Amino acid sequence: MSKFKNIKVITKKELDKFVNSLIKNEKYDVIGVKEKGIRFAFGSIESADELRLDYDVTILPPKKYFLPQIEKLMDFNLEKNFDFKKQNNQKPMIIFGIHPYDIIALQQTDKLYLDQQVDDFYKKRRDSSIIVGVDIQKVSEKSFAASMNTHITDSGFDLLLTNIGDYYTVTIGTEKGEKLLNEYAKTKPATISEIKKIDEVRKKTAKKFTKVLKIKKEQWSNVLAANYNHPIWEKRSQKCMECSSCTMVCPTCYCYDVHDDVSLDLKKGERYRTWDGCLIRDFTKIGSGEVFRDDVEKRYRHRFYRKGNYLPERYGFVACVGCGRCGIACLPDIASPCDVINDLSHFERSDVTDKFFIKYSSSVKEKGIIHIPRSATIKRMEQLTKTEMFFEIELDNGEPLGHMPGQFVEVSIFGVGEAPISVSSGPNDSSSFELVVRKVGDVTGRLFKMKPGEKIGIRGPFGNGFDVKSFENKNILLSAGGLGIVPMRSLIEYVLEPNNRKNYKDITILYGAKEPSLILFPEEFKDWSKVDDVKCELTVDKCAEGDCWMGCTGLITTLYPKIKLDKYDSENTIAVIIGPPIVYNFIIKCLQTLGIPDKNIYVSLERRMKCGVGKCGHCQINGVYVCKEGPVFNYKDVKNLPEAFE
Amino acid sequence: MNKDIQIKVEHVTRVEGHGNIVLDVKKGEIKKLQWQISEAPRFFEAMLRGRYYDELRTITSRICGICSIGHSLASLKATEDALNINISKQTAILRRLAINGENMQSHILHFGYLTLPDLFGIGSVFPLVGSKNNDTLLKIVKLHRLSNEMSDLICGRTTHPIRLQVGGFSAVPTKKQLLDLKEKLKEGLNLTKDVAKVTKDVVDNFPDFNRETEYIALTSNKEYAFYDGDIASTDTGVYKDYKNYDKITNEYFVPQSTALYAKHKRESYMVGALARFNLNSKQLNHVGKEIADLFNLKAVNYNPFMNNIAQLIEFAHNIEDSINWIDLLVENGLKDEKPKEVELKKGRGVGIVEVPRGMLIHDYKINDKGRCEKANCVIPTNQNHANIQKDMEKLVPEILEKPKKEIELNLEMLVRAYDPCISCSTHYLDIEFV
Amino acid sequence: MKPRVAFFDFSSCEGCQLQIADLEEEILDLIEIVDVVSFREVMKEHSDEYDIAIIEGSIMRPMDEHRLRKIRNKCKILIALGACATIGGINKIRNQWPVKNVIKEVYKDADIEDNKFFNVSPTKAVNEVVPVDYYIHGCPINRDEFKNVISSLALGKKPKIPNYPVCVECKKNENVCLFELGKFCLGPITRAGCGAICPTNGSACDGCRGILSKPDVECVMDLLERYDLTYEEMKNRCTIYNTGVFNPKDGMTLVRRSKR
Repeated sequence: MSKFKNIKVITKKELDKFVNSLIKNEKYDVIGVKEKGIRFAFGSIESADELRLDYDVTILPPKKYFLPQIEKLMDFNLEKNFDFKKQNNQKPMIIFGIHPYDIIALQQTDKLYLDQQVDDFYKKRRDSSIIVGVDIQKVSEKSFAASMNTHITDSGFDLLLTNIGDYYTVTIGTEKGEKLLNEYAKTKPATISEIKKIDEVRKKTAKKFTKVLKIKKEQWSNVLAANYNHPIWEKRSQKCMECSSCTMVCPTCYCYDVHDDVSLDLKKGERYRTWDGCLIRDFTKIGSGEVFRDDVEKRYRHRFYRKGNYLPERYGFVACVGCGRCGIACLPDIASPCDVINDLSHFERSDVTDKFFIKYSSSVKEKGIIHIPRSATIKRMEQLTKTEMFFEIELDNGEPLGHMPGQFVEVSIFGVGEAPISVSSGPNDSSSFELVVRKVGDVTGRLFKMKPGEKIGIRGPFGNGFDVKSFENKNILLSAGGLGIVPMRSLIEYVLEPNNRKNYKDITILYGAKEPSLILFPEEFKDWSKVDDVKCELTVDKCAEGDCWMGCTGLITTLYPKIKLDKYDSENTIAVIIGPPIVYNFIIKCLQTLGIPDKNIYVSLERRMKCGVGKCGHCQINGVYVCKEGPVFNYKDVKNLPEAFE
Repeated sequence: MNKDIQIKVEHVTRVEGHGNIVLDVKKGEIKKLQWQISEAPRFFEAMLRGRYYDELRTITSRICGICSIGHSLASLKATEDALNINISKQTAILRRLAINGENMQSHILHFGYLTLPDLFGIGSVFPLVGSKNNDTLLKIVKLHRLSNEMSDLICGRTTHPIRLQVGGFSAVPTKKQLLDLKEKLKEGLNLTKDVAKVTKDVVDNFPDFNRETEYIALTSNKEYAFYDGDIASTDTGVYKDYKNYDKITNEYFVPQSTALYAKHKRESYMVGALARFNLNSKQLNHVGKEIADLFNLKAVNYNPFMNNIAQLIEFAHNIEDSINWIDLLVENGLKDEKPKEVELKKGRGVGIVEVPRGMLIHDYKINDKGRCEKANCVIPTNQNHANIQKDMEKLVPEILEKPKKEIELNLEMLVRAYDPCISCSTHYLDIEFV
Repeated sequence: MKPRVAFFDFSSCEGCQLQIADLEEEILDLIEIVDVVSFREVMKEHSDEYDIAIIEGSIMRPMDEHRLRKIRNKCKILIALGACATIGGINKIRNQWPVKNVIKEVYKDADIEDNKFFNVSPTKAVNEVVPVDYYIHGCPINRDEFKNVISSLALGKKPKIPNYPVCVECKKNENVCLFELGKFCLGPITRAGCGAICPTNGSACDGCRGILSKPDVECVMDLLERYDLTYEEMKNRCTIYNTGVFNPKDGMTLVRRSKR
């Protein structure tokens, strides 16, 4: 029985009049479900005649109105040093005909986009829109919403229409909806028998679903958690064409990519975002060319886990609403979660469902609106090696960056793009901070060509930094491989600061560079070893012909035997590793040999960080966002993440 | 006059495709005068061999980037003729809009970007920027864009049109889109008149040259023929037996050219805007006639340089014609029709249309499995090559006194006047497939 | 100093250069950021000194290969413009037959033995003769993509050419899938960047921007059955621009996609 008391009835004729008067009003963009060839689609309607509330499913979900396929974020002017204008227009929308499963999907999207770091583009569209839902009349043959209990909903709409035969009932969901109805429509209160009919209609519709899930949706997490390496993934993904149609049509997919487009005269441009899909191979590709999720099998599997395990663990709901669109769109017909879960349903279940996710609440607040860079000036530049450049950056508003060691910023150059760069200086009260950049792509390439005095944009600081409080009263063993010394320096500067040094016991810094010419901060390294109870060891992998090098040669792993720790000490020692992916497994073994427990080891992992706030989806390691739960991780949390150390 | 002159213009500029002009004069006597076609043969008939009937349009469209709509339409007409498919009235009108759009686009491109520089005495349109004629350049650009917008709307894309299919259109414009286009066309008509006035001031920079020749084009009682009509000649009148077009267009091979030559009653004949004007000037609508009068152009005119002016006249006519068709479509209401169903059968079809450069013929023999067994294409520019050669042979002695640079320029201008599309023309032969 | 750009055309319909001429007023923007020193189709002037060479058309004859190599030696950056240049385009259809036979059939007994204009070899894409730095795909090219490539090069950044299939753009346009309408569309395996313009206009994709990966055999057989299509239809569509995907002589020899 519907929990709503405030239910009206409206005749079909009056409904048409209601719609037409809204269209005439011109204050709103009136959108509804229309025919599109042999299918249906949401679109602007010019008359109520176009409305087809009896549709089965639209090609694209209504997410396109809240997270458009292509959405301009800002215009920028390249003739001035740092000049841009945020995109602001949004005409209020009324959307007629959203099915319950799509309403539920929007509520799920709200959890992601209206969290602590609100996406204000999305928010504006949500706030300025009115949702008029409609109960399902015709069922799509690929839909399994009834099995997911998403074929009906009692929230998320301003008004909800149900076709009970001669009339439509109008269930009022919000005051906004009620006001609209009273202003533009002629309705009568619904009688008890009319209200009863609503339930009957819904029950009847539920029976029409031919596609059925064999298990309850609450069990998805268990089934998936137990079958990560099941042969089904390889078998099904062989047919995958990597077209990513499944993610494009999905109401609960909302990953996006951001691009800069420049006009031909190079004077201005726009930064826009567009839908991206995790089935696309380049989804996890970074500037240096590395692709973190390369195999199609892994990408195919990732989508199901995100919907059926990672997001459920994070938010408590299954991120699939059974609309069946992916089943229609997938040409080889391998995309439907219903089929996959049904196939797996008679295999084992696991009780430990959150092994691919870290229950960690990040309390980082991005300073400023999440997409908008703050203006900053390059104060000083110094070429450290042939491929690395040092930058001293100052925010133009004079405020300190306010970062923790281990965090990163997104450096933004209008017209070129954005790149995630670790902060290399320790937190302090001054308004400037330091970055070290390796030239690998467009943004870093452009940075190299810039000069002091020029401006860049900064977003952040982002990410989970080092929990320096928990390091207090312990020994600290820092291992930096190659470029890892750059973020490590932010931690080193912090712990070696005179005020802080006393909080920590013995400090050991191990640094392994590829060759002498690639050593970063050699002078500072010497200074660090001069501080009380700080031991520094430096080694190079190899020495090139003719190089003059008097220090150690050998991989960084050769330095560990030199460290003497007894059991008491090793339990009280924190180890930090930052380096290229290949060194982690080796160094971890060395640390374990020294008796350091896993919970005392911290790593910093790199992925493709783009938005920095856990929304665009590119940085995921299984269910973990590197930009939110990382890049600094406690090893015990990530050691069983299959994608972490592949 | 005992001059020695040697001219070799390799790859004439501001002309589509690759052609050379060679002139060798010794002691005032012309030893060699050739219009050479050096374009690589692309062997289109090899590409059509064995293809399914619904691919022929896709492939032949790529014969030429500028007249891709024309090739598509000729191809579709030939295919529909072979398979006995009748298109709807709406399709016929939309196809006329398509061909108008192409004619407009090609003519204004040729006239504005390729010919006017000669009249203004400069190497290309770029110097016009910022000069006192900047205004005219902007109008030409606007008219060019308008033409493209029209064909983009009707065909989905101007170059290599998408919506043109066997039996109809894969998608049609909406009423609103057509009405928006109509407003722009009306503005375009005014701009065209402005451009015509500016041209009038410099039109005398064209050489005053005449050579009597035969003119061949499509003709019709109902309209100034582009999409439909019968073959007509200024010498022999209307010829209704379209399937035996080769009685008119006799193609033959010459060694200096990878393209074929053609002749009918005389040594050569001309096709194109001037030919159409000479045969159909009475069918021009108001604005067309107005501009013809402005330049005092009357049928039959034998100056090949006037082909340029005929293009301007046709441009104006096309705009007004399109406005009329749009009115009719909107009045009747646009239907979201899908292309007609096709029943496979053996057949031979010939499709003839007027493309910007002249009469274009596609001739297909399709077997009962729907595959093309035999194909022939008669390209307008092919039909003009012989006429270009003959014109040169008459023109050169008339201008031999002039300085070498001027002779060269005049010869180039002569070639440009024909608006040749050389890539298309690189031979097409009758070929039997196994 | 502005980079000097020269356009060259080989065997093509010149439709791609036309797209550039169709930039209308934006050509003025173009010439502000680069120096167009040679563009035979619209200007008389020509220079032999250039930094960026843009090549349209396929290579059909040894004399064309020779000309192309000279250009490659002169320029710093070489861009292949349009399907004829990037993948050989429709010009490659004739490669199915030996050149000698084609010439004999077409020109029969004409005396062209020593005529270098007729010395034809199998069609080649530009990268089969010289290394290519950037590709602008399509038949014809997408004007916006051209603008993007030029402005990216002028800004010193790498042009972004999509590495994902047409389906992504087709779905963003909310088109009804052409498979559902009984047509065999090459969209799932063709490179995007055209905005899915053909499916959006109701016509199945012909693969003119090049194939991204050869599909799995079983998957294709499945597709044909599920959507009630014939092998003929698929072969037709695949052999317009991409005769390399299928070898008509051996029937369907699809290669199982290897792990990349």
